[in-house]
Amino acid sequence: MNTETSTFPLSLEDLHVSFGGNRVLEGVDINFVPGFNGLIGPNGAGKTTIFNVLSGYVKASRGAALLEGKDLSELKPTDRVSNGISRTFQSPKLILDATVLENVLLGMHHRFKHGHVTELFRLPNHRNEEDQARETCMDMLEEFGLAEEAHKETGDLSLGSQKIVEVCRALVAGPKVLLLDEPAAGLGADDVTVLLKGLNKFVVERNLCLVLIEHDLELVTSVCPIIYVLHFGRIISEGSPEVITSDPIVIEAYLGSGYAPANGDDQGGADVL
Amino acid sequence: MARLKTNSSGYPLYPPKSKGIKGQQKLLSTAATFAFLALLPWLPIFGWITIFDTGTNYGLGNLAYVFAYAAAGIGFNFLIGYSGTLGLAHAGLFAIGAYGTAILSAPPECVEQTCETIVRPAVSGYGWPFLLTIPIVCLFAAIIGVLVGFPAARLKGFYLAIATLALGELIVKLISMDEKLWSGLKTNGGTGKQVQIFEFFGSGQLKSAYFLSLAALFICFLGHVIYTENRLGRTLKSVRDIEIATGPLGISSTYYKLIAFGLSGIAAALAGVAWSQNSAFVNPSSFKTRLLVFLLVVLILGGLGKLWGPLIGAIIFVYIRQEFQDSQKLLFFLIGTALMVAILILPKGVASLPDRFTDSRWVQDLKRRFKAMKV
Repeated sequence: MNTETSTFPLSLEDLHVSFGGNRVLEGVDINFVPGFNGLIGPNGAGKTTIFNVLSGYVKASRGAALLEGKDLSELKPTDRVSNGISRTFQSPKLILDATVLENVLLGMHHRFKHGHVTELFRLPNHRNEEDQARETCMDMLEEFGLAEEAHKETGDLSLGSQKIVEVCRALVAGPKVLLLDEPAAGLGADDVTVLLKGLNKFVVERNLCLVLIEHDLELVTSVCPIIYVLHFGRIISEGSPEVITSDPIVIEAYLGSGYAPANGDDQGGADVL
Repeated sequence: MARLKTNSSGYPLYPPKSKGIKGQQKLLSTAATFAFLALLPWLPIFGWITIFDTGTNYGLGNLAYVFAYAAAGIGFNFLIGYSGTLGLAHAGLFAIGAYGTAILSAPPECVEQTCETIVRPAVSGYGWPFLLTIPIVCLFAAIIGVLVGFPAARLKGFYLAIATLALGELIVKLISMDEKLWSGLKTNGGTGKQVQIFEFFGSGQLKSAYFLSLAALFICFLGHVIYTENRLGRTLKSVRDIEIATGPLGISSTYYKLIAFGLSGIAAALAGVAWSQNSAFVNPSSFKTRLLVFLLVVLILGGLGKLWGPLIGAIIFVYIRQEFQDSQKLLFFLIGTALMVAILILPKGVASLPDRFTDSRWVQDLKRRFKAMKV
């Protein structure tokens, strides 16, 4: 392992993933930097699979993902959040009959130190920890303009707000790397502004490395100084928004002719994916 | 709660409660209900319902059964309603509670002429103090519950239900094997065992069993309320609703499922202890799948996921059972019918009736008119 990679908060080294004979990722090398990193590509390109490798749902068949130089595959999926990796899902995964605040509190559960016996007898350290956690979560919700909704049932919120709640839950976990899977899909223009403002604050304050999967190209190009384009499990282009939007390969694969069948270099994956 | 905690901008950290009596409604209603139940043996006001007439031994015993079933139902509710795990080993765990205290607290065997009282092997045990045996039995049931829960880590839905059902039956089977399994297991085989009744300060056997059952219900109720409203409740809900997302949240779903199994095992064992003290006799056939079906009926009639559901369900169930005990066929027919009616008309159980009432169109309409009148 070279020393250079350890300086990056998150890096993928020659990452391969295949489900049976279906090769989803074929050698992805990315060094994510602190700040916004965009990850775009057509449906089935393997974007979410990268996230799934990072959060432990999928095992890499070759290559590795390194969190500050540490191999992630050595960590159990449940231990990854305390090592600083947090994510959201394409469709929000929230408890709909719990309150918004309770859902956000789930993000802090891995930080609680008191046991469940302490909880049963409601001893002071349980109450103190619970109060502090609630305060942190409340501040987070306030940051994203949802403090008024904190004690409402999550199911009563709009999909857009639910997605923001999920981002809050991921942020209170105290991540160094935050993986956002299409956070802006289904959000209104106002919500997107609030979301980006909040995220930007944490990126600046905590030097957060944020990986953004998004189909809204306008959004990605406006916030991400660096963008990676994934196509059939390979990075076909990377660079600043200007470089990406003018790259002929990207235009052919994703931007211009999204629905056109791929030719020549296609490995027959189009049918399978 | 007098303290009102807020964050730096003044947003409350806990759901705001309405002021005065209304905010304490839950606490007051709970306290009132349990105080009422505790005083009931001296207030035989249900004389008109023979089955629950506390002036008679019969009514007192029936109410004690209600509490025992409700306590087990609460534990069952905790497992199914909160962690979403369909574990069906409860009849076995209930049997552990019932048999455990019966064996541990029974006097040791003594058949010599020199003995003060002759204790035949069939009723002998280990002679431990009864109150000490309760935590031991609960701990043991929790351990067994966790062991039964291990398949839960890998199985889901029907497969889990079948596996745990079999494991629960296995426990009962092992109990009925008695000496063929281990000579120290003094379960007296399939014939059943007499239970040594514990008396609180000479209050009489039936009253003791009544209060023991009430205490079991109270403990289960309190534990349920505290756990479901705090961190464990949230965590279990996440395991139930968003199990796929628990890994990245640092929540081990397996671990928490096992906790739920263990806690519901404790509730089942407590209920078993109360039940055996009341029935004074334990027999392996009392803990077969029929008991499990009874518990499920209690839960579904009362309302799955409702706090008061198990108690209400148990009252209805015991009422039907005692009223029609002469005819088993009619009894099962009626229980089945009650279950079907509950599922069709009140899918959330009888405990959801008040909500159904306040949510109904004409009550809402009435409220609107009332408001309009005020303005």
